[in-house]
Amino acid sequence: MTEIKNAHFTTLKGAYDTETMEATLRIRRYDPDTGKARFDQFTVTVPVTASVLDALDAIKDTRDGTLAYRKSCRMAVCGSCGMRIDGGAALACKTPMKKFVDAGHTITVSPMGNLPVIKDLVVDMAPFWEKIRAVKPYLDTRDEEVPDKEWRVSPEHGDLIHKESLCILCGCCVSECNSMESDPDFLGPAALAKAYRFVGDARDTDTRERLRDLNGAHGIWDCTRCYFCNQRCPKGVDPRDAIAKLGAESFKEGFVRDEGARHAKVFVDSTYKGGYLRETELVPKTIGPVNAIKDIPFALQLARAGKVPNPLSPHKAKDNDEVKRLWKLLEKEAKGAERPRAQHPDAVREG
Amino acid sequence: MLAGVRPPAYPAVHVRGLAVRRIFPEVFVIRHDVIVLGAGCAGMRAAIEAKRRGVDVAVISKLHPTRSHSGAAEGGINAALGNATDDSPDSHAFDTIKGSDYLGDQDAIEVFAQEAPNDIYELEHMGAIFTRAGDGKLAQRPFGAAGAPRTVYSADITGHVLIHVLYEQLVKHDVKVYEEFFATQVVVDEGRCAGVIAWDTKKGGLHAIEANHVILATGGVGRMYYGTTNAFACTGDGMSLAWRAGVPLKDMEFLQFHPTTLKSNGVLITEGCRGEGGYLRNKDGDRFMAADAPNAMELASRDVVSRAEWKEIADGRGVDGCVLLDLTHLGWKKIKSRLPGSRELAMDYAGVDPIETPIPVRPGAHYMMGGVDCDLWGETMVPGLWAAGEVACVSIHGANRLGGNSLMETIVFGRRAGQAAAERVLEQGDTGARIEPGVLADEDRRIAGILNNAEGERPGLLREELAKTMYDKAGVYRTEAALTECLETVRDLRERAKTLKLDDHGSIFNTDLTTALELISLLECADCLVTSALARKESRGAHSRLDHTERDDEHWLKHTINWCDDGEVRLDYRPVTITKHQPLARSY
Repeated sequence: MTEIKNAHFTTLKGAYDTETMEATLRIRRYDPDTGKARFDQFTVTVPVTASVLDALDAIKDTRDGTLAYRKSCRMAVCGSCGMRIDGGAALACKTPMKKFVDAGHTITVSPMGNLPVIKDLVVDMAPFWEKIRAVKPYLDTRDEEVPDKEWRVSPEHGDLIHKESLCILCGCCVSECNSMESDPDFLGPAALAKAYRFVGDARDTDTRERLRDLNGAHGIWDCTRCYFCNQRCPKGVDPRDAIAKLGAESFKEGFVRDEGARHAKVFVDSTYKGGYLRETELVPKTIGPVNAIKDIPFALQLARAGKVPNPLSPHKAKDNDEVKRLWKLLEKEAKGAERPRAQHPDAVREG
Repeated sequence: MLAGVRPPAYPAVHVRGLAVRRIFPEVFVIRHDVIVLGAGCAGMRAAIEAKRRGVDVAVISKLHPTRSHSGAAEGGINAALGNATDDSPDSHAFDTIKGSDYLGDQDAIEVFAQEAPNDIYELEHMGAIFTRAGDGKLAQRPFGAAGAPRTVYSADITGHVLIHVLYEQLVKHDVKVYEEFFATQVVVDEGRCAGVIAWDTKKGGLHAIEANHVILATGGVGRMYYGTTNAFACTGDGMSLAWRAGVPLKDMEFLQFHPTTLKSNGVLITEGCRGEGGYLRNKDGDRFMAADAPNAMELASRDVVSRAEWKEIADGRGVDGCVLLDLTHLGWKKIKSRLPGSRELAMDYAGVDPIETPIPVRPGAHYMMGGVDCDLWGETMVPGLWAAGEVACVSIHGANRLGGNSLMETIVFGRRAGQAAAERVLEQGDTGARIEPGVLADEDRRIAGILNNAEGERPGLLREELAKTMYDKAGVYRTEAALTECLETVRDLRERAKTLKLDDHGSIFNTDLTTALELISLLECADCLVTSALARKESRGAHSRLDHTERDDEHWLKHTINWCDDGEVRLDYRPVTITKHQPLARSY
């Protein structure tokens, strides 16, 4: 052991030394007892390293103890402090205050969207958890004999669900989901990313049933592909990519009857044939001839507004072969990727 | 009844045909066979095991289960699988005993090391996404003070992966969860645990939740320190509930400081960084661990590394109150694949990219080795009350825990507690212990007293005062003088905390009330810690006295027991269980 030169120390010098700054926040308040909402503005002194969550804590401790918000880990892993910061969902603990202070900007903090507000920044997560429960969120190896040791999974197959495994169920994606805004029953980005975590898992053997359920009403094809979920996810899960992967897996399993699936299929076929999308054939082939006829008044309305391309001379690419070559390349790649399978350790010969 | 409290919106709950007794107009009594308090890894593992064995089990937690702090564990979970090199449970046990500075009970450690591998396989079968080796087996990485690469991991988000797989199983087994219920009292009726009284944070109102068995799994108490890796929720609630209910706390002076935490907010940078080959350097660029642990270097035991860092900083060889964790030589590829979470944390909270710049780190309060005194199955002295995980002290970790052993402890002892409690239910059935109306009425008055008080000091500010006092005076190094001052402050804070000023007197999502209740728990645990530390006149593991620098097996190879005497701490001692390994000098 080296000698302790500074023989009497228990306290680290400068342990609390830090520069501070003045942070201003505008916060949406909601009082459940009166049912009234309002905005409050606070200015507090915080360290320059403070996050939005630290600023909220400073307000709560020194200015207004009635302010309600959820928090726990303050390191972006527990998923408690999702809230809207300047209108977009984010984790308060992962959002530094300094950039706003430097810009002289007063941030507006409000509760997440698409979920009922309980008080101030606290939302009722119950509908969120219901969706998670709806996708059968646990591994199912069905009738497979459970080994004594671990399933063998190659690192490459393990990596297939890496991004989805990062999800902390904070709800930021759900808050910004456009589709859920119009259809609250839509499973939504978080639950669908969770679903892919199992569909893509080499050990799970319930793939077909899972995909059949996900192709039902309020399932994967109700996503409007606005990509807001990818944009707002604080952990890089990219839920929209997971939904796309579920779509691809669904095709492989032959689930092509849903309107959304048909739409995707016609889209691909149409571009394959002409190099361009033929909108006029897209609609009848997606929703069927009867429904297409019913939608004629709507189409005429669109035409009057100049929103319908000329159905008689559709766009055609100059060199359609290039499109076809691309298409074949992708198809080959997709066929090359086999479904990942875990191996029973007894079936693996030790080298 | 509480002013301003509305009756809970729940219909009367019927549990296994038992009609629910309704005592007050506002309060319902609910009954379960087993209640698990806390929903981290230990709590969920216990609940799953009890449910599998066919008993009626419910989980009560102040957070949603996936918000629990087990999810923040990064580096991994230890089990002697022997996947990377030859390894054995005996070797795991020996490393743990040595790491504990011989204060761990060796019978418990043997059980732990023996049962760990099967528990890992079971987690894998549940669906845990662990990092794989090239042959498809579970990869294992080296960790501090371990004789073999024994740490199973999932990049550097192992706790996150486990908390989610256990939550998935909780859903699968359809375990009832009382989410965002804050337990305020563990009720003991005629010497038996009768259940808990809990405050419904979301809707307001106290609930009496009776049970034949209560398993405490509420986690640690790091928030009593300023520099801590722990979540805001780690406030020692379970320890304080048990202590007040008459169960002693054990070895509370042993609080582990993690060597690599960020200055700005205490966030942990995993030991896996050093496991993957990271260096610790002082301001001159020297790898200072060469002095204290020439063989193990950066991978010495956590107490050893923390002390070495503290010395560097205190002797003026630090950088802005920190030392440097240097990963730059590992290369971007390894950092991105093995340590992506640590990189993200360093960038978010220290403003440095470890691929290019070393991360400034310092020791921070991390893990309570002590806790609720219990046996190898988690049972405490009060029949019907059990404990598992960080809240418990079995004791596996003794005076110092090895990295990767705590996640494993939550799983092994969570499972054992769930199993034992369920078996007890199947043998004994209803124990007859009840929460009497008078007990509930008293608790109601106590909570109402706190809720309605508008005089005194703000709970958050008192907590900060406590945290700074503890970090300054009961930290990595301790002295009689500093601890005496610390104890005075803690006792003074306990007095001042009797009247806390609440701004919020409402019933719905009142986090002012929960902060106040948490402060009371923290203060009681701090009192136990400092009282025990002052009495232990030796240096062992994480307890380092500058005025008693040597380990003293003759006088101090014993567990400290903290009893609650009408709210005051009373000390007692108990021998350590030694089976195979007599204490040896500990060096790395």
